[in-house]
Amino acid sequence: MKFLPFIWRQLARNKLRTALTAGAIGLAVSLVCLLLTMPAGLDALLSDVASNTRIVVHNEAGLVYPLPYAYLQKIRAQPGVVSAASWTWYGGVFREEKGVEFPNFAVEPDPLGSVWADWKLDPQQLEAFRRHRDGAIVGRGTLLKNGWKIGDRVTLKGTIYPVDLSFLIVGEIASERAPHFWFQREYLDQALRAAGRGGLDILGIVWVRVDDPARVAPLMREIDELFHNSEAVTASETEKSYFANFFSMLEGFVTVILIVTGLVALCIVFIAANTASMAVRERLGEIAVLKALGFSRRLIFGTLLTEAVLLATLGGALGALGALGLTQLLRSGGGWNPALGPLGSFIVTQTILVQGLFLALFVGMISGVVPALGAARRSVAETLREVF
Amino acid sequence: MLPLRYSLGNLAARRTRTLLTVAVIALVVIATTLFGSLVSSLRRTLVGTGDERNLIVLRKGATNDGSSVIPLEAFQSLRFFEGIARDAAGNPLASPELVVQPFFRTAEGGRENVLVRGVEAVALQVHDEVAIVEGRMFQPSSGEAIVGSGVAGRYVGARVGDTLPFGRGHWKVVGRFDSNGSSFESEVWVDVRELAADAKRTIPYSGLRVRAADGADMDALARRIDADPRYALEALPEPAYYEKQAESANSLYFIVIGLAVLAGIGAAFGATNTLYAAVQSRRAEIGTLRALGFSRTAIVVSFLIESLAIAFGGFAVGAALAALLGRLVSYWLGGIAFGAATFTTNVIQLRVGASDLAAALALALVIGLAGGLAPAAHAARMRPIEALRRA
Repeated sequence: MKFLPFIWRQLARNKLRTALTAGAIGLAVSLVCLLLTMPAGLDALLSDVASNTRIVVHNEAGLVYPLPYAYLQKIRAQPGVVSAASWTWYGGVFREEKGVEFPNFAVEPDPLGSVWADWKLDPQQLEAFRRHRDGAIVGRGTLLKNGWKIGDRVTLKGTIYPVDLSFLIVGEIASERAPHFWFQREYLDQALRAAGRGGLDILGIVWVRVDDPARVAPLMREIDELFHNSEAVTASETEKSYFANFFSMLEGFVTVILIVTGLVALCIVFIAANTASMAVRERLGEIAVLKALGFSRRLIFGTLLTEAVLLATLGGALGALGALGLTQLLRSGGGWNPALGPLGSFIVTQTILVQGLFLALFVGMISGVVPALGAARRSVAETLREVF
Repeated sequence: MLPLRYSLGNLAARRTRTLLTVAVIALVVIATTLFGSLVSSLRRTLVGTGDERNLIVLRKGATNDGSSVIPLEAFQSLRFFEGIARDAAGNPLASPELVVQPFFRTAEGGRENVLVRGVEAVALQVHDEVAIVEGRMFQPSSGEAIVGSGVAGRYVGARVGDTLPFGRGHWKVVGRFDSNGSSFESEVWVDVRELAADAKRTIPYSGLRVRAADGADMDALARRIDADPRYALEALPEPAYYEKQAESANSLYFIVIGLAVLAGIGAAFGATNTLYAAVQSRRAEIGTLRALGFSRTAIVVSFLIESLAIAFGGFAVGAALAALLGRLVSYWLGGIAFGAATFTTNVIQLRVGASDLAAALALALVIGLAGGLAPAAHAARMRPIEALRRA
């Protein structure tokens, strides 16, 4: 500890170099943190949002293949089903030139609180949603991005159904990762009838809350068997597997991101190693004098290594904080991006910050070890002869 | 002027330091090239789709052909519009198409939405960049399908001769087609009536593609389609349509540019460090050079050449490795899947293109210049007497 001022002095000796190295390490660490938010967004979605007693039932052929609306009642009647709600894709656009910017679904208001009990929806907002036929509950991510707040009116233009609907936002889903826009199924149904299109007799997918985790697997089998010989064959799966499958197409992209992250991390090692070796090379004479004065090899090694680690960690800390600030900026401008899905949430979590700092620490160790060892081992007489 | 050999010799004299800096720049080049080529491959695939002589006709307000429906009567009357090209037999080159996105299984057991396009035989004439490279075209009403090359390699049962399960039925794969790398290669084509039956669509078409006749006024044709009061339709040149679809890739560009800028600044810092150290350890040498009568400019230029040489070396190593890595990644993953705004999968082959390399070269040279300038100026400012005295 008492050598800390000494080490600090050494860092302060060539301020420009220290600043440049810390800057380079900081930038690289912030990049690593930013890149890690992408796969982390996917993981967070799978572990946070996915409940182990919620299953999803959809058409076996694909998500764009609808199911008859009557399926919802049949599913509700199965033993073990606490509640079930359907989602029907409306495909509404807010800004016409942008296309569908957030997923919007027609839902039944009553089962929401039970099916998504883990989302902690506000009971009063749910009540308001029930009362207002044109009400909408919107994910915080979408609210933030569009600058909407509860009480606002928004109109979405239908792309699949020939009706445009005007909504009153009455509640929010309190997660920045939630992009959803929910509105009453009955509202769409009536609008379609008013337009002379007949009612809404299909649904997209059904979410089911199961009473007991042990019932999940048998129930999924029973539901699929129930509709096996019907006009639309269903496939049931857990919420986790549903999302994992939904985003499996992003796997290749995530692989490329991870490779790039690894390259950038390697880059930091080289930058730090370069600086550490320069620092040692310039000080060979000095180190020899210290050793001649009686400082042990271990002490020399320790101070040099600490110097490298300190520098890297400082740079890393700056970088991690920088990433935190940058993501705030990115999110205010970006939001839910259909092309990126959960990769585009850009949330630097605590885990990512810790990972970034550990990376810097690790880099400091690796980069400092070889030059420090070299300096500690070098023979005093030889060095002094060379230098003077 | 100092000879070039002097600058390059200096690099060779401090091998470790030079190599580490080259490695840093090479890594930055690899990282940005790889990421950049992913985005530009995606854009190339999307934007490269479509023919400028073709119009895509959708329902008004539909943003893509997945969210559009076109009634049979509209197709029947529209195909005889003036200005639409005809084949040798006098049939109009108007292709009615239906798209659906069923699940396909990947070899690893995952599932992805793949765009299946129901077409008639005329589609091959309207989309004449599509060429069957293996097998033959499907026969109507016989449960046959042809697959794009991107699909064939990625999904279970999608090779020629296989039976491909999707939608409600099983389809026999009788051919494989290429389309110069455009997004059609990530599609499966089947008979439009069979697909409509399978998907239980009462309205069989989601869009039309029409080929304008040679010398016909495309704008006039589009306006006539837009203005037809019987059907609310909208015609758009195909390239403009796909350009719009590719917009989802634009936000990725910002990420890549941000990545390149951040990594570039970091690498420039690293290069600056190296050159500062070089200047510092060559004080006496620089003093001597100045005393011998070499000008400040000569010294600046010599140091800049040194740093540009490092940057160029880094670029060369990085570019070669990036091209290799791109191919390896593509090969491992069977093409990189990417979901566009329509939630269908585009299978992209990661290819490092000339423009990606040009951007990487520019980045490397900027790093070299930025990293070399300050130390070079520092060296040039040294007064010969002082430099020699202190040494």
